[in-house]
Amino acid sequence: MTKQDFRIVGKSVKRADVIEKVTGEGKYTGDYHWPGLLHGKIKRSEIAHARIKHIDVSKALAYPGVKAVLTHHDVPKVLHYGSPHPRSASCTKDQYILEDKVRFWGEGVAAVAAISEEIADEALDLIEVEYEPLPGVYDVDSAQLPDAPQIHEVGPGGNLVIPPVHVERGDVDAGFAKADLILEGEFEGGRPVPTYMEPNICVADWAGSNKLTFWTSTQTSFMVRGALAEVLGLPLNKVRVLVDHMGGGFGAKQDLFQHEFLCALLAKKCRRAVKMEFTRRETFIAGRSRHPFKLKLKQGFRKDGTLVARDMQIIYESGAYGSHSPGVTTVGTFSATSLFRVENVRVNGRAVYTNTPIAGAYRGYGVVQTYFALDIQMDEAAEKLGIDPAEMRLRNAVREGDIAPSGHPIIGRGLEACISHGIKAFDWAATRDNPDRSDPLNPAIRKGWGVGCEMHGSSAYPGIKEQGNATVKMNEDGSVTLLTGAAGLGTGAHTALAQIVAEELGVTFESVSVVHGDTDVVPWDIGAFASHTTYLVGSAARIAAAKVRARVLARAAEKLQEQVEHLRMVDGIITVDGKPGQSLTVFEAMGPSRGIPAEHLIDTGSYNPTKSYSFAAHFVEVAVDTETGIIECRKVMPVHDVGRVIHPIAAQGQIEGGIQQGIGHTLTEDYIIDRSNGRSLNAGLVDYKMPLSMDMPDIQTIILEAAPDPGGPWGAKGVGEDPIIAIGPAIANAVYDAIGVRFHHYPITPEDVLNGLRRKAAEDKTC
Amino acid sequence: MTKFHLEFTVNGEARSASVDGYRSLLDTLREEMGLTGTKKGCDVGDCGACTVMVNGEPVNACLMLAAEAQGARIVTVEGLQSGPDDLHPLQEAFMEHGASQCGFCTPGILMMAKNLLDQNPLPTDEEIRFGLSGNICRCTGYTKIFEAIRTAGQRMAAARSADAASCGCGCRTEIRVKRREPISAEG
Amino acid sequence: MRRFEYHEPMTLEEASTLLTTLGEGAFFLAGGTDLFVEIRERLREVRHLVNIKRVPGLDRIDYCDTGGLRFGALVTAGQLEASEAVIAHYPNLRAALRQLASIQVRNRATVIGNICRASPSADTIPPLIADGASVETYRIGGGRSIPMAEFFTGPGRSVLEKGEIVVAVTVPAPMPGSLRAYIKHGRRKAMELATVGVAVSLDTAGGVCTGARIALGAVGPVVLRAPLAEALLVGSKLDAATVAAAAEQAMQECTPISNVRSSAEYRREMVGVLTRRAVSQAQEVAA
Repeated sequence: MTKQDFRIVGKSVKRADVIEKVTGEGKYTGDYHWPGLLHGKIKRSEIAHARIKHIDVSKALAYPGVKAVLTHHDVPKVLHYGSPHPRSASCTKDQYILEDKVRFWGEGVAAVAAISEEIADEALDLIEVEYEPLPGVYDVDSAQLPDAPQIHEVGPGGNLVIPPVHVERGDVDAGFAKADLILEGEFEGGRPVPTYMEPNICVADWAGSNKLTFWTSTQTSFMVRGALAEVLGLPLNKVRVLVDHMGGGFGAKQDLFQHEFLCALLAKKCRRAVKMEFTRRETFIAGRSRHPFKLKLKQGFRKDGTLVARDMQIIYESGAYGSHSPGVTTVGTFSATSLFRVENVRVNGRAVYTNTPIAGAYRGYGVVQTYFALDIQMDEAAEKLGIDPAEMRLRNAVREGDIAPSGHPIIGRGLEACISHGIKAFDWAATRDNPDRSDPLNPAIRKGWGVGCEMHGSSAYPGIKEQGNATVKMNEDGSVTLLTGAAGLGTGAHTALAQIVAEELGVTFESVSVVHGDTDVVPWDIGAFASHTTYLVGSAARIAAAKVRARVLARAAEKLQEQVEHLRMVDGIITVDGKPGQSLTVFEAMGPSRGIPAEHLIDTGSYNPTKSYSFAAHFVEVAVDTETGIIECRKVMPVHDVGRVIHPIAAQGQIEGGIQQGIGHTLTEDYIIDRSNGRSLNAGLVDYKMPLSMDMPDIQTIILEAAPDPGGPWGAKGVGEDPIIAIGPAIANAVYDAIGVRFHHYPITPEDVLNGLRRKAAEDKTC
Repeated sequence: MTKFHLEFTVNGEARSASVDGYRSLLDTLREEMGLTGTKKGCDVGDCGACTVMVNGEPVNACLMLAAEAQGARIVTVEGLQSGPDDLHPLQEAFMEHGASQCGFCTPGILMMAKNLLDQNPLPTDEEIRFGLSGNICRCTGYTKIFEAIRTAGQRMAAARSADAASCGCGCRTEIRVKRREPISAEG
Repeated sequence: MRRFEYHEPMTLEEASTLLTTLGEGAFFLAGGTDLFVEIRERLREVRHLVNIKRVPGLDRIDYCDTGGLRFGALVTAGQLEASEAVIAHYPNLRAALRQLASIQVRNRATVIGNICRASPSADTIPPLIADGASVETYRIGGGRSIPMAEFFTGPGRSVLEKGEIVVAVTVPAPMPGSLRAYIKHGRRKAMELATVGVAVSLDTAGGVCTGARIALGAVGPVVLRAPLAEALLVGSKLDAATVAAAAEQAMQECTPISNVRSSAEYRREMVGVLTRRAVSQAQEVAA
């Protein structure tokens, strides 16, 4: 199928769900409110590591308006996953709903339900907790010392979340022996948090029965159902999880955050519906971050730039619980075998517990960290070898047939296409060869230009044995309903799925509507993460639509008295090859007619993935104020290969939003924990500094269809994870170009810049 | 706790409620008035998701007590439309340009954008950025929001001048466009 | 959010009496943009809020060429930012107002509330101190006028007594040859609390500096003046070497602390950079 043949795929149709978002009519979980609803609040620990000696709730229970209080004495003691991915190794059972122990500052120790949010909040102060402090560990180095306090009784010990992940290919030592240049470096990164706009929230209602109805803001409604059922001891059909609109997740809303269980238990105890909503501050304290990391990287290069050996050790800081550490560590460790091709590679990855907030899933899942290092060292090698940095990347880019992190062969030459395209579109050579680094408005400014690369898998396969499912139903008027379990976290994925169904089925986009977000109704789905929805669920939807199409055409053939092979269906009109006068609308084909029994037209598609990788190269311009140290990212040209673009505007929107978050974690965003006591220092939107409207650069997004993947619908691959990865090293490399100072960490603060400039000035003097 | 009898105008309609003195305008709009389009993203004035117009000025509804809105004229995102099928040009443009992803910031940003365009139908890029500096969007990188506001501003200005030309008095009639069929980027 | 009782007095006397009699946990409410945050984040235990918005006469902005600017306790940052007098005569104050939080916040926040909160990083304080502003208060038994430079006693603390209400701020009219600027330093371009804020207000005659006031925000327990640096500027032609020396001197006169926003060393260094830039910006605005 050539591009011209598509009628719906590749067009920026209007997202069906957006009308509700712009009118304010769309229902988010917090918008459900009715008289008699109770409000729940969580009492949080004021200490990072302690045993609870005694907890007294009598005053809180006696407080007028309080309906129930729960402590670790009152809840089921079931060891559970923070992130319950079924059928996968990527999670660790290390959490209880409430325990007589706390492992991070801000962990929930009790919960209150009251007739108003204010009363519940006030009652928290009346709960008296007596702690026996335990020695805490607040960084990965001290956590790994032989005599370090152990944070968990379960697991491999040594404060490791899982046994170290090790991957080795070729002969690394022999590779280094052949190298003309060996570079070694240490890298580290802070604690960015996803900061979705809708704080975590849920509403639980047992509605006078033994069945739990649960509204929540989650990317993984079936995982929430599974965890609630397991911990509460219910069969899956007695837990109904509902998600309509949700205000972002970016990966983090795959976990359970304690409050889901507590809300359900409070509702059960009170026999009334309970709503529990995080404050913005709680989304920091009790939310999830990207894993802070420390990494050592050694690579060998030949004179011509060829990479011959790579040795990397990475430590991911998991915080107080495992959450996604197993997955992040595995994905991140394996990712480091790729991006720039190398036959001899050894990577060791660890995830380490500390008494700090929990790191979880966040867009770029373990890969942001490793590629930050790979891409910066690639720049360093290019300079030492006298090769242009973009050219250096072209020479080393992974390509067709190379082994991908997943172990599958890479398909196509997507990364090279992105780099080559960007070199031309950004006017890379001219910009770098004759640089004008000055700024007419500020003589202290030095401008610089840099490039960064990335690749990221669509779907979590093979780490998780995923499956995409879709049900397509044609109604008797020819309109179509797609039922999907994929969450709509705001990416427009449901629109892409509807486009795929309409295209495959041969009906108009407007005739397809999407039903989602009700675990009692829709087909099972693992959740919206890992850039999986368009790729995996899209393929399943296409299979289901094809089955329905075949049945519609069979029915039309009967009505038209024609051979089915001669029929075509386009925009809901069925025509006969070579007989222009003969046609039927879908409505006519499906409608009741004499002699033909009515038909229930519903089919299901299931799809087990292979693995595909999307690629990108980001080209950036930065301006560094050499007196204040402030780095401004002024221009970004992201070039992405997504195989086949289903909805251009939605794909661009994903890329531009990822760049915003990536600029943030590279320059200004860091959730800071006091390393002496585990307390958080900036749990709010003023001191956790995301780039806002005035900080955003000019972004010129370019989307390529360079390397379509046979596993995705018409070659489509994922796009959600990718854009946050390459922007970081691109900025760091551009800063080096501007001021000649190398940074191996993020965020790069103004103080770092000034200190770096001073170091450089001292070095230049001694030289 | 003392309750206040509150009377004000919301989206052109006279409304009244009995509210506690400590309740925010935001909670009152959402829970008492059923106007849940206005969102609570931080409850401390940092995110702009709860932006509403009070007596013609945009404010954070979380930073105002309901009791302080006695007699005020309030417009929320639900008041942007004049009828079920009559979208404001900004709402149209936000849909076309993909300016709303998760949509949680959208009601607040629409109110700020309306405030901007009402004062200045053809704002520069810098003016748009400045006008939205109190509204956090975490999904879009703002690029598509800027585009949508530019488009809506141009359409509103064009409609205004067409309208002014036809009636000849130069009055600034509220311009509405009918909801149209979906269009494609290529189409 | 915690519950509290809400009061709407109609006169200053009633407001002042209420606050005194309600005792511990009673606070005045004007804009509320800081107060509600403190209540929600449990930084302040509030039992009673005494809203002064119904008190008449506190919402005026007046300006005359001899008396200068006077604005009342209910004037919002947005109103002052938009006032013609401020646009025409107080570029440093206007710059501070335009960078205070967001448009939405400025439509609620009162300038006097920003002052009374007595934050060392408050945007409006450095330009007002540099311009020689005073506060006028109401007390039962007689109000007073206090130079703003003497108003603050520490972070969050001022010389105000319980029940005393700041009713207005007055700022002298600028003299011919007055050069002024305010520069706020933060990691973002908006929605920031100043890491450092520097306001300069210079009197010049015939190209020579005849008077200088430098006010430094967020580098001490209160907004500081830099008298030794000011002295270096006075009598000079504001040439680059003198300005650099004064900037260097201002760095020595501040007493910053380290916190999550910045280290003390960095703040000190920025006082130097920003003082230099503020003087040059003030000269450019005049030119």
